[in-house]
Amino acid sequence: MKRLIIYMLMVSALIISANVLAAADVANGQLKSASCTACHGVGGDSTNPMFPKIAGQHADYIVYVLQAYKTGKRINPMMQATAAALSDDDIIDLAAYFSAQEGLKTLGQ
Amino acid sequence: MARLITRLLGACLLLSSHVYAADLEAGRVKGQTCLGCHGTVNYNNAYPTYHVPKLARQHSAYLVTAMKAYKEGLRSHATMQGNIASLSEQDMHDIAAYFSQDSQ
Repeated sequence: MKRLIIYMLMVSALIISANVLAAADVANGQLKSASCTACHGVGGDSTNPMFPKIAGQHADYIVYVLQAYKTGKRINPMMQATAAALSDDDIIDLAAYFSAQEGLKTLGQ
Repeated sequence: MARLITRLLGACLLLSSHVYAADLEAGRVKGQTCLGCHGTVNYNNAYPTYHVPKLARQHSAYLVTAMKAYKEGLRSHATMQGNIASLSEQDMHDIAAYFSQDSQ
């Protein structure tokens, strides 16, 4: 019985900590966003037509794109270099932050 | 002098050939196919699953760059590469103008 309780506690601790690690954090994303905003603008609302607006973009699309740059599936020297330095958690946090900003829409929305 | 003028005119022609006057109304017609995915709120890509990107308000110059990247193979996505393969540069500018409405 005692062993069972210890086992259950260990499992639940593991599940809780795993969820905490995976949770996207908008505030953390903002802290990590400084190098992004140099090109993509404050909050990702770029005013330079060379660089896309990312404010309001879908979070899962941002994650997909950053992973694609990181793995070399998508080619762009600047973005590949930037994404290479990001951890999976960084990417999730950045995506949470930029997707929460006002900006891009779906046409007709 | 005459030769200089001819050369200048030639240079002007060369420059103008790279300037595309985007036609938003033409883009509305040409962009109908795009709307199947990019005009549907929260539409998902399949395998892998993620929301197709929002394009409205995006910079038109960037949209053209992105379309060219698919055409040149810098970005790989079967559907996007298939759809863009048949687009001319003028088509891309028109479609970009259509989607970038309201961008600043």
